[in-house]
Amino acid sequence: MKIQHPLLFLLLGATGIAAEAEPLKFNRDVRPILSETCFHCHGPDEHGRKADLRLDSLAGAIADLGGYQAIVPGDLKKSEAWWRIISDDEDELMPPPKSHLVLTSEQKQTLKRWIEEGAVYEDHWAYQEPDKPKVPESKGDWGKNEIDRFVLTRLEDEEMQPSAEAAPRTLIRRLTLDLTGLPPTADEVQSFIVDYVQRGEKAWQDAIDRLLASPHFGERMAVSWMDLARYADTNGYSIDGGRDMWLWRDWVIQAYNTNMPFDQFAVEQLAGDLLPDATESQLIATGFNRNHMITHEGGTIPEENLTNYAADRVKTTSEVFLGLTMACAQCHDHKFDPISQKDYYSFFSFFNELSDKGNDGNGGINAGPSMMARSMIPDDELADLERELVALKSELAESADGFSKWAAEMRKREKQRGKDFAMHPVEVLDVSSPNRPGPFEVLEDESVLASKPSRGKYAFSHSLRLPPGKKIDGIRVRFFPEKHGDGKSLTPFPEGTPKVTTVLVSVGDQPAKQVDYHAQVLLSQATASSHSEGHEPSGVLDERNLDWWEPASATEPQQLTLTFSNPVDSDTQPYLTAMVFFGRSNSMPFHWKIDAFSGQDTESIFPEPIAAVIAKAESEWTPAERATAMQTYRETAPELDPLRTRIANLSERVDVLTKPHPTMVMDTAPKPRETHILDRGQYDAPLEKVVSATPDALPALPNSEKATRLDLAHWMVDPSHPLTSRVAVNRIWTLFFGTGIVATSADFGSQGEWPSHPQLLDWLATDFVANGWDQKALVREIVSSAAYRQDSSATKEQRELDPKNRLVGRGPRFRLPAEFIRDQALAVSGLLVPRIGGPSVQPYQPAGLWKEVSHFGSTGATKQVFTQDKGEKLYRRSLYTIMKRTSPHPAMMAFDAVNREMCIMERGTTNTPLQALVTLNDPQFVEAARVFAARLLRETDSADDHGRLAAAFEAITNREPKEAELNAMLSFLSDERQRYRSDPEAAAKAVSVGESPLAEGLDHVEHAVWTQVSTMLLNLSETLTRS
Amino acid sequence: MKPNLFNEIEKRQAQLMTRRSLFGNIAAGLGGMALGNLLASDAAGATGLDVRAPRSEGLPGLPHFAPKAKRVIYLFQSGGPSHVDLFDNKEFLEKHHGSDLPDSVRGGQRLTGMTSGQKSFPVVKAMWGGKRCGDHGTWIGNTLPHIQGMADDMTIVRSMWTEAINHDPAVTYINTGSQQMGHGSMGAWLSYGLGRENENFPAYMVLLSQGSGKNPGQPLFSRLWGSGYLPSSHQGVMLRPGANPVLYLQNPPGVSRDARRRLLDTLGDLNRQQAEAVGDPETLARVEAYEMAYRMQTSVPDLADFSDEPESTFELYGEEARRPGTFAANCLMARRMAQRGVRFTQLFHRGWDQHISIKKQLPRQCQDVDQASAALVTDLKRLGMLEDTLVIWGGEFGRTVYSQGELGAPSSGRDHHGRCFTTWMAGGGVKAGFDYGTTDDYAYNIAEDPVHIRDLNATILNLLGIDHERFTFKFRGLNQRLTGVEHAHVIKDILA
Repeated sequence: MKIQHPLLFLLLGATGIAAEAEPLKFNRDVRPILSETCFHCHGPDEHGRKADLRLDSLAGAIADLGGYQAIVPGDLKKSEAWWRIISDDEDELMPPPKSHLVLTSEQKQTLKRWIEEGAVYEDHWAYQEPDKPKVPESKGDWGKNEIDRFVLTRLEDEEMQPSAEAAPRTLIRRLTLDLTGLPPTADEVQSFIVDYVQRGEKAWQDAIDRLLASPHFGERMAVSWMDLARYADTNGYSIDGGRDMWLWRDWVIQAYNTNMPFDQFAVEQLAGDLLPDATESQLIATGFNRNHMITHEGGTIPEENLTNYAADRVKTTSEVFLGLTMACAQCHDHKFDPISQKDYYSFFSFFNELSDKGNDGNGGINAGPSMMARSMIPDDELADLERELVALKSELAESADGFSKWAAEMRKREKQRGKDFAMHPVEVLDVSSPNRPGPFEVLEDESVLASKPSRGKYAFSHSLRLPPGKKIDGIRVRFFPEKHGDGKSLTPFPEGTPKVTTVLVSVGDQPAKQVDYHAQVLLSQATASSHSEGHEPSGVLDERNLDWWEPASATEPQQLTLTFSNPVDSDTQPYLTAMVFFGRSNSMPFHWKIDAFSGQDTESIFPEPIAAVIAKAESEWTPAERATAMQTYRETAPELDPLRTRIANLSERVDVLTKPHPTMVMDTAPKPRETHILDRGQYDAPLEKVVSATPDALPALPNSEKATRLDLAHWMVDPSHPLTSRVAVNRIWTLFFGTGIVATSADFGSQGEWPSHPQLLDWLATDFVANGWDQKALVREIVSSAAYRQDSSATKEQRELDPKNRLVGRGPRFRLPAEFIRDQALAVSGLLVPRIGGPSVQPYQPAGLWKEVSHFGSTGATKQVFTQDKGEKLYRRSLYTIMKRTSPHPAMMAFDAVNREMCIMERGTTNTPLQALVTLNDPQFVEAARVFAARLLRETDSADDHGRLAAAFEAITNREPKEAELNAMLSFLSDERQRYRSDPEAAAKAVSVGESPLAEGLDHVEHAVWTQVSTMLLNLSETLTRS
Repeated sequence: MKPNLFNEIEKRQAQLMTRRSLFGNIAAGLGGMALGNLLASDAAGATGLDVRAPRSEGLPGLPHFAPKAKRVIYLFQSGGPSHVDLFDNKEFLEKHHGSDLPDSVRGGQRLTGMTSGQKSFPVVKAMWGGKRCGDHGTWIGNTLPHIQGMADDMTIVRSMWTEAINHDPAVTYINTGSQQMGHGSMGAWLSYGLGRENENFPAYMVLLSQGSGKNPGQPLFSRLWGSGYLPSSHQGVMLRPGANPVLYLQNPPGVSRDARRRLLDTLGDLNRQQAEAVGDPETLARVEAYEMAYRMQTSVPDLADFSDEPESTFELYGEEARRPGTFAANCLMARRMAQRGVRFTQLFHRGWDQHISIKKQLPRQCQDVDQASAALVTDLKRLGMLEDTLVIWGGEFGRTVYSQGELGAPSSGRDHHGRCFTTWMAGGGVKAGFDYGTTDDYAYNIAEDPVHIRDLNATILNLLGIDHERFTFKFRGLNQRLTGVEHAHVIKDILA
């Protein structure tokens, strides 16, 4: 087949044939074929090499094989390789049939021509220092800057045209999303449109200035850097306990915001600890190579773990900075690139000298080396925070509006204490604590007796049958002292008291040995016979083991009483399972019993003296009693929860900005580990010892005597390094065009894709270095180009000839990343809390997801059970959503976020039903639609559906709707209005999702109608796409 | 050009609609086999557009040859079931119970940190005994009485092995073909290669259950059903007990199904207008994805609603099958999914990690799974679906023949053991009533016919009509395979 259209050649990939007139280029036309089909056996891997033949170098290809050569340049007939390629004898044919590798006839023709033309080899392009190419002279006069000359020339080569500029609205949406990860506001769009008409290029440049100066720029850039750096808030592997690394994230955001030059950005992250007089900031930066997974699982072998950690640092560092898949050489020489196993371990040695331990990081305490440091985020909000806190605290201290109502309710509750209370014995069907080694028995009175309680953290599951015909309001767990030493005690441990970290309950029509995490009974209150200082019974309502109930005395019987939010009918749900977790060391008791009860709990949620005050009529209070009651109101009244939450969140924010926090860093051990080549990559099969060095095929280290990680970092950012600058500009290009100039952004090696615009890549790389590795300048260069500003619509021809837009003949269009999709919904609704930096947050998430996979109930590791945050933490940007590696947020994962177990350079952009379910039904999005709708109703004219719809459409898509679109929406609107009018109850429900305050003063029906309209707009393909 | 593009989409939707009505009208009266075939035909009718995902079609050219199995139900027993107690006891062990495992048998074997400090390694026989089962007299432990009764339907492979000795790498290895992270799971590979069998469910669905022998069992992680480097649309979709079997499946409060339909109609209308204006096939693919989401809102609850099951179902699977989220309920769910054409269903049952108190833990763990595992095979057979449904039962490794902790102590157990373990399979083109591979007298080393976990995976692919060597995905310059870089063998001897 002869390929007519030059572009079709390109789209077939580099394995097609260059047009006859054009000379073959080895790197573009031939290397990819040889690499894919020959190098596996005839490449750089000495040990895997077959027939002693290598085809990755001319010397190898023309070597004498005993009277003949694989390739004789210019002489096809004497080239044995050619005969083997075209052989019809299966035993002779190359590549051999059993390899399942096949040369197409086009590829064979290319090889034939190449041999005939003299079998010219070139060194692999990416290992050659780039020369700054001349900016080409294109025929047309299209374009804004140098980038466009390269793009246009390439298009002209293929007889194609660039596309027209996108509409100003599209441009400002594109630019704002690209530079901040947030959509522009309606005002920003309007003022840009006006400005662009008036001032043209100046307006565009000003918009770029404004957005590059936004603190959200750093957040946007951090999102992709976090993927590369495999940032997470948990350790990964199986137990996946918590860690603190957010100071490193803060550092990244701040580095981008202050436009830290990329060479410095790289050096500080790779070797900041080795810089002279390293600052706190430079130490935090080194967390880059501590973000890898870490385990403390019993049974794992420390040496093996340490090998895995160093291997991860090699993989990440080489892919991120060098575009080299060095990890392939961990077990054997690289099959395609000139990286021997010795090169690999010499590189590995740089990252194997830490003082880290092979089994570390339990209990939420960072694995060493770790340090305490302050966040790099500017604290300019501090004064505002302090002011706000003072105001809120005084608001709380003076809160009295709801006091009488609260006091009356509490009084009633105290009066009714014990009303209709009746204990119901239950039948114990099964008690288990499988992970606890010692015995226990269930006595005739259905109590559980353990003669030798264990020291560790153990949960006991009780499968119980409820008595028939009862309305069960809760359960009571009683603890009985046993003989111990000379006296009696609840436990055999020094304090003698049990510590209950949580109690979980589920009910059903079948007996269950374990609590069903997806059908838990909600608990409304916890009370106890007594509690020791700071260990109130309410602590058990939080499922984490941070707070617990502990009685005041160890010698008396004690009880813990839990009331259900909704009573259970023992006829329909006769089986109850209760899990009692003694989740602290030395806390398991001797003897306990669980009963069910009906009626009101006999104990108060208040300590006795306060309960006594509250029980009295308000008129009988002494001034001191009134003050006690008032203080209790301020500390506990549910209606003041939002206020207390705000105070807690703001106080925490102040701490974040002002106090030291833990973060993992790099160091060098006093006695660094030696590095050996490991046979087949096995940690326990050391071969030859190696010293730190860079791969032979790359430029040498200037001082290779005793090279350090800092030498390595400086070597990487040497202006002459062939890879670092190319890989960096390619990665940044990808953020704005969806695909890199080298599409395989983590692989610039032999198996990587040939660049779509090699000259442009080199021009950008050399220009980047010449500009002092200025990242914002590079971004500006890219978004200033006409190429970037093209319309992203695709004609049929464009779609067919260049479906992936590799030639950049139209504007880039791709689905927004997971984070931006959620952030956009928060932003347009006004819910977004745009604070920068700080610890990760835990916004809405379906119940049970962590518990169902984690070690909950048997470990001191943190982050085993999810507890949702409150207040502003529900509305922070998504890059702050907690990343738990074994169970990442499902809504983020649906949109191709990665689990951060390893370095990922490029995410997918799939399009799935699960995504639809998220943006339609996830409370985060439903709430955003509700709040957006409320804003819309308040801020636009009520009489004008048409105008209001247009405003809503524009606020979300940043463009005006067309007539046909408006009509479709109007019809939907009127249907919804009719429906909700006939079902106002449904309307009330539809406007109640989420924890932000319900809209006051709005008609539920109208609010519900517009909430549906808003949901639809947030689900438009256009909304989810950056076009 | 544009009208064409839209005509094709419309045409395809019309086709789907027809099939859906067929499904609605006729399906109830059809046996599972026929239903599976009917739904399989949904894969036809491609638009020819460059829609990257979701696609119901698999890769062109797949399957490579006629498959014996159309679907797989993998009953994954997470934690490492004790092969010695369940499937691989020896009379020799009866005699040598309590004696120290000879060094020559252990042969410098790498031990986990759990037992590497132990001074002696006393051999423990199968603690609950067992019996010869089936026509060929294969040995199965007494804690699995129902599975004992299935011997004539199973191939038992007693010579499985893996290099991994700890959970995380081992369970990652068997499920993704590599001990390292980042690779696609078997279900994701099958979804990618073979596509969906129907338009109402994803190709790969996952169900979890907690073991009552050990609670919590060793943790699981989403990578085990993840897509790794494959497109994320192929990751396993988890079906959970409770009101939202698939996350976010339910409409928000105050939004009825009719209302949602109207919203989607308007949304689809606006999306089509926009797709037409900018020539974006991805937008059309999104319209389809929303339609499938809408279908799942009824197909999934229908799947999870057992009220149409007769009493006999619960007699077969056991009363536990009535309780959502149990292994038994998940087995029943797996059968219902098979009937609906789900390509690959994987159950993960936690809790097989009996380091301690094995006497207490193992019988409970077995009780969780015994009846329902056997019932699933029986049920598929009854429905005529066993012949093209492959059922696999096994974990990531076995357990040591020697005691972890003092011999006979109530707290003693068995440590991880990767050198040999047992997996059984039934249906889907494997032999019935067949044993493959043997271990030495100590059930410690393989004596004959070793089956590496990648050989098992190659064999599973083979049963599905896939040549594992030709089923690749290019990532990081390599043609990645589920079976990894080292040579894997299809175990031809177990193929029916």
